[in-house]
Order: sequence, then C-alpha cells, then structure tokens
Amino acid sequence: MASAAALVTATGLPASAPQDSSIAQQPPQTSSLSPESQAEAEARYQNILNAYGSRFSDAQKADLRRMSLEAQPALDRIRAHHLENGDNPALYLKPLVEREKKPSAPVSAGAATSKKT
Amino acid sequence: MPTEELFYLPISEVAKRIETKKLSPVELTQTYLERASKLGPKLNAFATLTPDLAIEQAKAAEKEIQHGHYRGPLHGIPYAAKDLLAVKGVPTTWGAKPYAQQIFDYDATVIEHLTRVGAILIGKASMIELAGGFGYRLASASLQGAAKNPWDTKCWTCGSSSGSGAIVAAGLAAFAIGTETWGSIVCPSAFCGISGLRPTYGRVSRYGAMAAAPSMDKIGPLARSADDCARVFSAIAGHDPKDRSTVPIDRGAFTYSPSLDLKSRPLRLGWLTNAWQKLDPAVAKPLSAAEKIVRKFFPGTKSATLPEGPFEDVANITMNVEAAASFRDLIRSGRVSGLTDPTSQIAGYLNEQFSGADYLRAQSIREILQRKMEAIFEVFDVLVAPALPVVATPLETNLETALSFADPLGAIGNLCGLPALSVPCGFSDKNLPVGLQFVARAGDDYSAIQAARTFQLHTEWHHRHPKVA
Repeated sequence: MASAAALVTATGLPASAPQDSSIAQQPPQTSSLSPESQAEAEARYQNILNAYGSRFSDAQKADLRRMSLEAQPALDRIRAHHLENGDNPALYLKPLVEREKKPSAPVSAGAATSKKT
Repeated sequence: MPTEELFYLPISEVAKRIETKKLSPVELTQTYLERASKLGPKLNAFATLTPDLAIEQAKAAEKEIQHGHYRGPLHGIPYAAKDLLAVKGVPTTWGAKPYAQQIFDYDATVIEHLTRVGAILIGKASMIELAGGFGYRLASASLQGAAKNPWDTKCWTCGSSSGSGAIVAAGLAAFAIGTETWGSIVCPSAFCGISGLRPTYGRVSRYGAMAAAPSMDKIGPLARSADDCARVFSAIAGHDPKDRSTVPIDRGAFTYSPSLDLKSRPLRLGWLTNAWQKLDPAVAKPLSAAEKIVRKFFPGTKSATLPEGPFEDVANITMNVEAAASFRDLIRSGRVSGLTDPTSQIAGYLNEQFSGADYLRAQSIREILQRKMEAIFEVFDVLVAPALPVVATPLETNLETALSFADPLGAIGNLCGLPALSVPCGFSDKNLPVGLQFVARAGDDYSAIQAARTFQLHTEWHHRHPKVA
C-alpha cells in the first residue's frame, strides 16, 4: 500500500505471484516494521490462509504474505495521524429533508435485474 | 466518402453539419462503425460493437432532424460507453471473465441521458477488469487484452478507461464515456493526447454502473477538447432519484454555452509545485512550455502547494475496503481466480482483512483533508499540474513498479470529489502526448472547464491526432 500506483492499482498494493522472471517482485522490506506491526501483518496473512489457504499456490501465498507486510506501514501512518475524539468521519447520513419526498426503492446495479447468462 | 479529418472534428462542427442536414447521422454512424470494426480490434479498443442499435438510433435521429426536430449538439453523434455501464440487452462484462456473459435488462442513467439527447451508441469500450478494483500489474488485465495507444501501438493507453482513451484518440467515436475512482479518466486522457473530464463526485448518476469504490467512483467524458467534454457533461449531469449519492436537484444540472465569455469571471490559478516528486525528462520540456502559456493567459497565477499528510494511504484503504465489499461474493466464492491479472486474483482476500476501525479512521482524516482543500479553494479557483509525470509506457511494463510514484493530487482530488480536466499540452521527443490537468473546487466543474478551454484557445495540441493505419 506504499506509493500511489493509483493510476493502475486501485489497491496500491504491489502484489501477486510472478508468472515469469521479468516481472518478479522484490521481497518485502519488513525491517522498518515494529515487532507489533510485523506480528499484525503476519496475523492478517494467517487469517487469509485459515479461511482460504487451499485456494492458493505457493507463489500466491508468498505474494499474499508480502502484500500483507507491505500494507502495514500505511495502516501505521493512518493510526499515527493525530485525531480528536470529535473528528467525525467523512460519512454521514443526509438529513431527510434533502431527500426526495417519495424516493424510489433503491436498486442495486448488477443485482436484482441482472441476467447472468 | 468521408475524409480522415471527419473523425477528428469537434462535436460542435459535426453537430453543425448534422443540424444543417449536410451530414447524415446514418452515414456518419455507418462510417464510424466501419472504422471501428476495422481499427478497433487492432487496438483492443472495444468490448462490443452495437451496430444494430446504432443504426436504429441513427435512423431515428435522421428522421427527427429531417422533420425539424433537432435535439441539440449531441443529436446524431456516435459515442462509446465504458463496458461497466448497463445497456439493455447488450453484454456488460465489466472487463472481467467472471462477468463475460452478463446482460442487464435496463439502461444506466448515463445511457438514458445520452439516448434522450439523440447520441448514437456504437459500442462498449474495453476496460481494465473491474476497473482495477483489486489492483493490477499488467496492461493486459482485461477481458479484451491490453488497450494499445494509437500514438504508438507498442504503448498502453492507461487504465481503467483504457478502451475509451484508445477510441477517442483513434477517431473511432466522437466521444466516449469513462469512469474514475483514482486516475482512470485523467490518466488515459494524458497518455492518449485527448481531453477528459472527471466531474465532481455525485454530479453524474452512477445508476446502472459497476461499483468499485462507491465513495470515490465517478463517470465522465473523454473527448477531443474541453469544449466537447462540457457539451457531453451537460447532457449527463444531474440529480437522479435512482442514485442517492447524486447532488440535489438545484446543484446537479450543468448548463453549458460555449458563447459564455471566458473572461467574464477572472480565474485565480495556482500552479502546484508538489503534485509530483519528479518529472520524467520526456514530459518536463512540454510542461515547462505549458506553464509559460498558463502564466501568460492567467497573469495572476501563483505557486500553490497541496497539504501534506497520509492522504494516499487514506485513498488506498478506502478503495481497498470498498472494493472488497463491492465484490465480496466474487472473492468468497473463489470466482475471483477467474480474473486475468495475478494481482487481481488475490488482492481482494487481503483487502477483506482491513478493519472497520482503520477504515473509519481513514474517513476522519478524509474529512479533515476536505476542509483543508476548501481553504485552498478560498485562495484559488483552479489548481494546475501535470496530469502525469511520464508518457505512455510500453505494453509489457510491470505497472506496479514502473508507475509506483506518489500521486498526492490524484488521492486528494478523488477523496474530496474534486472535478479535474486533463488536456494535451505537448509531445515528447518520441511523439507521445503529455497532459496538463485543471482541478477545481467540488461543484465548480465550470471553472475547470473554463480554464482548460482558455488554454486550448491558445494552443493547438488538441487538434493533433495520430496517424492510424
């Protein structure tokens, strides 16, 4: 989750199983993680394996572990950013008066009316 | 027989010919379809062509115009829509193999709006699978394969609106609809030498569009100029009761008239000095020239800086968590393994692991950031910066490493829902386009358009087009 890469990766997570040597990823740089952060990243990886471990090849497992470790610094930075108790998240319900008087039933784009043929 | 130039005319000129009956919408549509059939596959630009629908719409447009019912500047104009917008009865694959057979029985609101003004849908544009919701490593992360850049087919168009970029740059449609969660309108516009508008969040309805990260997804036009973008935007903007995230009725619609005096409201521009850490030498020279033009025609332009903070981290966790929620069933069922890209196949599993507490903490930082940007827009109407610090990359590039530079403006702009318009501002020594972006306060799309139009009044870059065989 380090740098932007947002032009191409919504996750910003460098990742995955190298399919050929030309695109092989670097091993994770974990030396800067605190022991607690390292443990958290490893626990996250183990959680995935516990739930879905049989789905992954060894290379994919290695990639997932690397990705979990590389995601940790961003989480640490977000947690370290100073917030007051009253700093509300950028999520709030619009007051009812801003909504339509008789809103139509919400329809999810891809759910109820989709036909997967 | 139409000349090559017809395919690169601005919408206003094509519209004039259609309105005065010098150009037949049916013939125009047929010639675009022929061109799209011939060149589209070479660029992997389209997911689907819709010839039957297009001819039906074109015939209806021609009949109406012959009877004196001209609907406006998009009447009879052929366009393409990114393949994440539902079109009744037409495959909507979201660029992803697991959804290759998906067909909806209704039109997305954006499609409805464009149909209402008489535009002609000639096809669905190829795209990066799931709009890059799980990240991707290679340009080939698409059901249709890597979209090739018409300026150099060994290079990529950039994603996730990669097909939309190729279509407009190659003159395969008069305009295309794309979407951006983080970078996917600005980036293909820059790589392809075209103009692209990322509207204010909530200004364009997303009903019938695939959701990747619902608090950041936006829909906007890619076209030949800022003026063309504004014309399309005025047709698709507006409140939609079917999409609760759209802004209220009185603030949703966008009325555009090119005759509005560009100097009626002098803009205060800020040239961002920290949008990118480093510019590639290929883009530095054209951007230096572009900065001089901006400072000449906006004489009060001052240097500006973005606030500093963990905003890219916030954007990343926001997208990761929301995309994991959007595609929960795909992940848990294991069908995610059907995606093409090695990153897309596994990143969702990790993204599911991030906690609600971390997500909400990120949203609190987002709120603070939004207030900081409001303060900046008290000083400036429009912020200007290079659209990208590099030119189009080779198709086989490992994007996670080659394009892994910091992008604070992209993160901030998309976290705050700010409108941005990217326009071409020059070319590299290898004849690859370079882009410049104009970013405005949320809701003030017009200022971004006004600034970009002014830039294009004094430059010719948007008139250039690639030689497509």
